[in-house]
Amino acid sequence: MHEISKETESQESVKENTKKDLLDIIKGMKIELSTVNVQTTKPSSTRQLKSVEATINRLQKAPGDAPKKRTKSLSPELVAAASAIADFLPFDKQTTKSELLRQLQQHEEVSKAQKNGGRAKISVSNIISDMKVAKSATIRASTRPVHQIQFDEGSDDYMSQKTSDVKKSLRKNMLKGKRLNIFDLKAVTEETSETETTPSLWDIEFAKQLAAVNEQPLQNGFAEMIQWTKDGKLWEFPINNEAGFDDEGSEFHEHIFLDIHLKDFPKQGPIRHFMELVTCGLSKNPYLSVKQKIEHIEWFRNYFNEKQDILKENGIEFN
Amino acid sequence: MAAAATSRCLGFRCRLCLKLRGQRASPCGQISSCRFYSGSATLPKVEGTNITGIEEVVIPRKKTWDKVAVLQALASTVSRDPTAAPYAFQDDPYLIPASSMESRLFLLAKKSGENAAKFIINLHPKYFQKDIAEPHIPCLMPEYFEPQIEDISEAALKERIKLKKVKASVDMFDQLLQAGTTVSLETSNSLLDLLCYYGDREPSTDNHFQQSEKSEELEEDTGENDKKSKADDQFGVTWRAKNNAERIFALIPEKNSYSYCTMIRGMVKHRALVQALNLYAELLNNRLQADVYTFNALIEATALNMNEKSEDKWNNILELLKQMAAQKVKPNLQTFNNILKCLRRFHAFGRLPGLQTFREMKAIGIEPSLATYHHVIQLFYHHENPSKGSSRIIYDIMNEITGQKFTPKDPDDDMFFQSAMRVCSFLRDLELAYQVHGLLNTGDNWKFIGPDHRRNFYYSKFFSLLCLMEQIDVTLKWYKDLVPSVFFPRSQTLIDLLQALDVANRLEVIPQIWKDSKEYGHTFRSDLKEEILMLMARDQHPPELQVAFADCAADIKSTYESQDARKTAPDWPANSLNCIAVLFLRAGRTQEAWKMLGLFRKHNKIPGNKLLNEFMDSAKASNSPAQAIEVVKLAGAFSLPICEALTQRVMADFAISQEQKEALGNLTSPTSDSDSDSDSDISEGI
Repeated sequence: MHEISKETESQESVKENTKKDLLDIIKGMKIELSTVNVQTTKPSSTRQLKSVEATINRLQKAPGDAPKKRTKSLSPELVAAASAIADFLPFDKQTTKSELLRQLQQHEEVSKAQKNGGRAKISVSNIISDMKVAKSATIRASTRPVHQIQFDEGSDDYMSQKTSDVKKSLRKNMLKGKRLNIFDLKAVTEETSETETTPSLWDIEFAKQLAAVNEQPLQNGFAEMIQWTKDGKLWEFPINNEAGFDDEGSEFHEHIFLDIHLKDFPKQGPIRHFMELVTCGLSKNPYLSVKQKIEHIEWFRNYFNEKQDILKENGIEFN
Repeated sequence: MAAAATSRCLGFRCRLCLKLRGQRASPCGQISSCRFYSGSATLPKVEGTNITGIEEVVIPRKKTWDKVAVLQALASTVSRDPTAAPYAFQDDPYLIPASSMESRLFLLAKKSGENAAKFIINLHPKYFQKDIAEPHIPCLMPEYFEPQIEDISEAALKERIKLKKVKASVDMFDQLLQAGTTVSLETSNSLLDLLCYYGDREPSTDNHFQQSEKSEELEEDTGENDKKSKADDQFGVTWRAKNNAERIFALIPEKNSYSYCTMIRGMVKHRALVQALNLYAELLNNRLQADVYTFNALIEATALNMNEKSEDKWNNILELLKQMAAQKVKPNLQTFNNILKCLRRFHAFGRLPGLQTFREMKAIGIEPSLATYHHVIQLFYHHENPSKGSSRIIYDIMNEITGQKFTPKDPDDDMFFQSAMRVCSFLRDLELAYQVHGLLNTGDNWKFIGPDHRRNFYYSKFFSLLCLMEQIDVTLKWYKDLVPSVFFPRSQTLIDLLQALDVANRLEVIPQIWKDSKEYGHTFRSDLKEEILMLMARDQHPPELQVAFADCAADIKSTYESQDARKTAPDWPANSLNCIAVLFLRAGRTQEAWKMLGLFRKHNKIPGNKLLNEFMDSAKASNSPAQAIEVVKLAGAFSLPICEALTQRVMADFAISQEQKEALGNLTSPTSDSDSDSDSDISEGI
């Protein structure tokens, strides 16, 4: 009983709202446009569609009053109204009803998520058009691509708006909207332990291709010099006299103060004199490394060690 | 680069710098703010900067500069000189190119010289061993391309792989297997790499001269990408069945996932798509995991598969992506760029998936590169079919990336500016074009303009759009700035410029444009010359301008004459003859104008009515009935309907003798008969 009265009620309200203005519907909606805006090629039942739109609009305002409390469930009123519409429309009732309910749920969630949603768009017609598409899929599966070709993510030829608004709202269109939802941000950004591998041939060739992308003829002489510097053909500025020369890490004092290496020699006598002259000469020698200088002194030590007997004959002490 | 040997003994190796915490801080205004320096210095933090006591000495922070910092700072002070030829050319009048053909030729010549020198050095390394440079410059020494290790060992195999000798490596591998030595998995994998990358062919050695023109040239993009093989597969190298790669792959006893991956990548690269997908199935059966590069290749394989419809292909791609997520393989930029590239084949169906892919990419934090935006543009503006309603996505894109500085991340990055400017030109939106051009001039983005032909395309479209939409003064400023230092205009571009001048009523610039056209190699372009002549001859102008126009016309006439000298069948367009004659007349060069009349007969072209009337006026002005009669005779010779009117005019305006009247009468009566008499008239006229 209750159901029947509800039905008649809905039917009457539907008939009342047939004449409602389309723009009023749109203004009243605060739901973001989903980017799937299929332009259907069947405008024949627009009158019926408008009435359905109006009904849905009326029903939508009800959840808008208490949005926070409801999470996933819809009010039984909505469900009843949806079934009423399904009866009213000449399509398959089950499909229509399930579609309607699904859309209502979806829009509830969306409207909660986006309180600051921009201009209200033609979401209502989306519901209708989505229904249409699903319906035609069952009947005329082959023509589905034709419908789909009408995909137009910009709704500018659906409604006339000021261009700046179009651009602003469409900006959201490109960045906001459904994504593939295959990858998860957390899973992608977590640092996996990657083993260090030497770059393979593929990597090297890819890097070469990338470098070739930015190749342009040189614009001025400085750019040419930069290229030469990178090749290794030109000194680096500011000029460092000792570029590329490390001297094995030895310091200037190791070159100059070579007396330390004379501690095995006698402290006085001709040998000492001689060795001091040797170290004096070595300290002024820019061409030998410290190691070579020490080797030089070593050689003298070995030499004098060998010639011990001659030294003894002449009375010179070595050890 | 003399060796500074003497300074070593006084070597002041300044180790006074403190052991600083090597933190990178961006240098911003450390020195006086008006001095510019390149942004490549690193500024380590210094300890002990909190000065409490006065005795504490704070040593200023030591900057470490990049090795090219000084040069970069100097380079930033130099900007492009619009009056000079580009730096890459020798600064000699003979060696500065005058057209885009020449410019390309000269650059290729320069590069080929370098390559020839390198080739000779590498061919005879023993003559180039002397090394006087200090420090040593490795890149100037000869390179060794022949393998040195001769015995049969894994080290020899590795060397051959490193030198990219495909056949030698395969032979060495076979020899090793015959000898019974096992080859390590790593070496086998690198051998597989070599084989798969080059498709079992030797790598091409002269790759400098191979213009890897990708087949996605925008102007000729006719949507045949499915059938044409792209330049990716190395100029038609296809995967032969049962080639060495497959054979060796079968021989490896324990394949790991890398082996499978490299095989799949090689197969996709050389268009063995079905085999690649089968191998992927085998990989999954063996419970191995593919890496991200393999998935990228598989996505490409799915999209190139011919036998399926677009939705099925898209579903397959989605399947692959889901598998990727399930196996916890992280997608990279190439993944998404490959998807977008493949979606282009699906035309209109690919638009929504393309947007979804783009949003997915942003959602997981992968920064799109210029190639991404290029693919999106191509997806939405592929067929410039206005009836479908042009998308406004280009505005979104430009809003998104204005002001951003890009680095190369994808080999297709240099295609963006070309496609963006094409769209601007198609949409006729100058503001957007300025935005794109602004992006080009941001930071180092100018390097993404791409090779010569792409740069020329970009600037041609840009300049044509300027001619169409911008005020003429601004257009002329751009003209002076861009031409010829940035690009050489095509004849169509010059015609656009002429039309812009026409609209803005600045026809006095035309002689200058003609001079420039000659310089850029358009001397013999008949459409350009006709346009110039037509614009000059259309209206009357003040006398000085008329003189300038006549000079220009004479110049054009001489080009026609020199063209005649070469051709056997001379061919002057009728329009040109008309215009040149008119211009001569108006400038007072009557003799030359009368000579032009002779040319009409010679080239069998018909003079226009307006022209004949002007001749008549000129004859009147110089008060010479003989000339007037000449005009009438000419008209009669061609059996022109205006002949009657001219005769009337002669009779009325000129004082002619009786014989002349009779002659005129003779002329007119035969012309009123049938056309068969025109032959006799022509002979009369001559």
